[in-house]
Amino acid sequence: MAELTKESFKRVEPGRFDSDSIARPTVTYWQDAWRRLKKNPIAMFSLVLLFLCLLMVIFAPSLRGLDYISINSKTKYLEPNSTYWFGTDNLGRDLFSRVWVGARVSLIVAMACTVIQIVVGCAYGGIMAYFGGIVDEIMMRIVEIITSMPSMLITLLIMMVLDKSLGALLLAMCITSWCGTARQMRGMIMQLRESEYVMAAETLGAKPSRIIVKHLLPNTLSILILNVASSIPRYIFSEASLSFLGMGLDSNQISLGVLISNGQAALDLYPHLLIWPAVVLCIIVLAFNLLGDGLRDALDPKLRQ
Amino acid sequence: MIKYTIRRFFVMLFTLFIIATATFFLLAAVPGDALTARTERLQEKTVINLYKKYGLDKPLMERYLITMKGLAVGDFGESIVFEGQTVQSIIRDKGPISARLGLQTMTLGVGVGLILGIIAAMKKGTWIDYAIVTLSILLISIPHLIFGMLLQKVFGAELRWFPIIGWPKGKDLWFGGWEYTVLPTLTGCFSYIASYARLLKTSMLDVMNQDYILTAESKGLSRWQIIRRHVLRNSFIPVMTNLPMSVAMCITGSFFIESIFAIPGFGKYYVEAVSTRDVSIVMGQTVIIAAIYIVVVFLTDILYTVIDPRIRIRGGKK
Amino acid sequence: MSKLLEVKNLRVSYHTYAGEVQSVRGVTFDVEEGEAIAIVGESGCGKSVTAKSIMGLIKTPPGEIKAGSEILYRGENILNYDKKQMSHYRGGESAIIFQDALAALNPTMTVGKQIVENLMMHRKTIMVDGKEVKLTKRLAMQEAVKMLKMVGIPNAEQRAKQYPHEYSGGMRQRAMIAIAFACQPKLLIADEPTTALDVTIQAQIMDLIKDLQKQLNTSVILITHDLGVVANVAKRIVVMYSGNIVERGNARDIFYHPKHPYTCALLEAVPRLDLKNKQELASIEGTPPDLLAPPKGCPFSTRCKYCMEICCEQAPAATDFGDGHEAACWLHHPLAPKDDVPFKTEVRHE
Repeated sequence: MAELTKESFKRVEPGRFDSDSIARPTVTYWQDAWRRLKKNPIAMFSLVLLFLCLLMVIFAPSLRGLDYISINSKTKYLEPNSTYWFGTDNLGRDLFSRVWVGARVSLIVAMACTVIQIVVGCAYGGIMAYFGGIVDEIMMRIVEIITSMPSMLITLLIMMVLDKSLGALLLAMCITSWCGTARQMRGMIMQLRESEYVMAAETLGAKPSRIIVKHLLPNTLSILILNVASSIPRYIFSEASLSFLGMGLDSNQISLGVLISNGQAALDLYPHLLIWPAVVLCIIVLAFNLLGDGLRDALDPKLRQ
Repeated sequence: MIKYTIRRFFVMLFTLFIIATATFFLLAAVPGDALTARTERLQEKTVINLYKKYGLDKPLMERYLITMKGLAVGDFGESIVFEGQTVQSIIRDKGPISARLGLQTMTLGVGVGLILGIIAAMKKGTWIDYAIVTLSILLISIPHLIFGMLLQKVFGAELRWFPIIGWPKGKDLWFGGWEYTVLPTLTGCFSYIASYARLLKTSMLDVMNQDYILTAESKGLSRWQIIRRHVLRNSFIPVMTNLPMSVAMCITGSFFIESIFAIPGFGKYYVEAVSTRDVSIVMGQTVIIAAIYIVVVFLTDILYTVIDPRIRIRGGKK
Repeated sequence: MSKLLEVKNLRVSYHTYAGEVQSVRGVTFDVEEGEAIAIVGESGCGKSVTAKSIMGLIKTPPGEIKAGSEILYRGENILNYDKKQMSHYRGGESAIIFQDALAALNPTMTVGKQIVENLMMHRKTIMVDGKEVKLTKRLAMQEAVKMLKMVGIPNAEQRAKQYPHEYSGGMRQRAMIAIAFACQPKLLIADEPTTALDVTIQAQIMDLIKDLQKQLNTSVILITHDLGVVANVAKRIVVMYSGNIVERGNARDIFYHPKHPYTCALLEAVPRLDLKNKQELASIEGTPPDLLAPPKGCPFSTRCKYCMEICCEQAPAATDFGDGHEAACWLHHPLAPKDDVPFKTEVRHE
């Protein structure tokens, strides 16, 4: 303390400090979510896995350059070998290519269903929450009735009525699934509706459509992301299950479900026909589930530290 | 409370009515019917008689009215494909089989799931927690059917510990023939374990962050006392939401598990009825399954009010 | 009077993604038996963390109580307590009241049961008609109703069977107080007990705490950001700023002879009826420093009207003004300019 001089006690000029400056780096919600996702090794692993699956789904069928459509009686039921990596099926077709083509179809079906679910759910939930009152009451009753039916039942019924086409499959799998999204959206929007900034937008004369698109949807994005992550594996499952019951796509089309149900028939003698499509299906579903789990943790603002 | 129950009862009836109507017209829209395949090689006169027998010759609306009247008094009509079978006889014969399978899988699955959830929440951040979470994600990533076939192959065909297919009959219907039920029950219960473990863990962690847990701690309660008295009850509230879904899962599951293990149950029969377009049976089974589900949803709502005092049931008027 | 609680050099940190936040940075104070003291400071200054530390409620991780910290209860360091001792200490010897009573009460348990729970935990026997009998659930419920009556809840018998959401805000806080006092603790920590309440109810709750404190000879640590609440309850006041104690002393000294610019600013921010002119209520410009990277000098320097070069360089040591009145400010250094400082800087010897 010896070095204290008169100088040390000179008054500091006012305004030397910007007293309102915030020292800590500000982190937005999405930056923070991404940071937490990156820190989660399992989620990152699943992202890499999904990326690899995507590459395989796109390129694998042409990778081997083998015929996977026409029948070849000379190459029936081959065990996996250096030419046919996953072996061949009962009609002598390359299973490796067929599995990835099947995965492609299953993924496309799942994604299409998810898009339908999200779009219908958002629109329905948004309208319900926005107009409220009697509109909400009636629309909510409809949702209640639909959700009070076991969904697989309806799906089976619809597949029974319609042909085994892609369109029918999409319709059958989406017919009930949008209700959950619609409910979530309604709840979330109802909550946001009470907030002041939407009230401000309303007083400024913004149209209902504009408020929904500009103010409400961005806030519900995290719910939607989680919805996507959990829906895709569910649809992949449903497709496979329906095909297994003989109610899905036609058995000469290629999808993971069809391959698995064909493989089951030959399980005792040629297990590779079941194992490979099943393994690929499980890997894809697992990757989505792991990612979904990581996203749930990352997007939950309560877990922010 | 009584008012509420009555109101809900009518809503439930209405829902059932809608489901029955929708199912009826969906089935009516199917090109061809159950008799098409059966009557291909028969004489025209016999065919007409057959159609008369099942009432399929009448116009659509009349058939609708007859069916609805039948539903109202609990008469679902006779099977077209399997002569002499009615929905009642199916329920009597197949119902207990599916019920036992469902109860066994749900009890085991939910029980183990909840226990694992509690352990994961209490050991949060340790390897036990990670193991349980990873295991549960792994489990829900394997479809029933693949899992079932895997179990069949390993424990049935290779190790020969359990029979591959079949189900206890006769006096063993409810208690007995356990070796037959092991593989199907295991196949079914994994999805419950996975979903309940994860659900309860999340919910418990949420509750543990609440202020009233701090209050409980400040009373000097031990960790286990806090879990038992304060955390569990509160964290069960969100878990209950899953109950109707579990029943739906059980029904859907029975479609597959009964197919895989050749169990002559309700679900397997339903799938067969759907694929053979056995209209009256599909109709009856659909209504019954929907009714079970709707009742579970209702019971869940009642349970909510028991477990969470903040939820008050509103009377008849809104 | 003997010392009931001594907090020595308490340092608590929280580990977050951005780094270590030093919430409490060396706090030392003590509480005597039956005495009420107040810890005053704005939000984020570490008062609540201090309170939780005293109750042993800091979760580790993310929290960490640094080595060298001591919290002595009747001479024993509670940081070294084993599970059994801790369980007896919490609830039996000490109790805490939180700011938000609705969040602090279990929503699915009746208020009566929440009091009973505390009683059953710590009391083996109970006095009935002057005789000591073994405590049963039924007797505990009777005692709980008595507690509810004592804190001024009407229809206590019925109220005990109700759930927290059926209570009004003020009543919930009363119920909270009933839980806290159920086992007649020697030490009560009230963490902003009135902040969430209406002004009229605030006074009632403060009076209730004061009455019970006198009646049961309980020591109270009142934690608040509102100096107005403190005035007629606490004998001694500790002023905290960004994890440090900047000034401490008797209530009289703090109110009439503040020795730290921060205390002065806080006092100016209290609404008063005796201001003659249409004087505007003062506020303190700026925000407290980020405890992620605490400043090396005086933490208040960035907002202080009298900031000097030295303030940004070195943390000031406490200057003693006698009678337990201390302030940590460079203005009390003999070399500091004295012209426009709002308080007398010389050391008082009476």
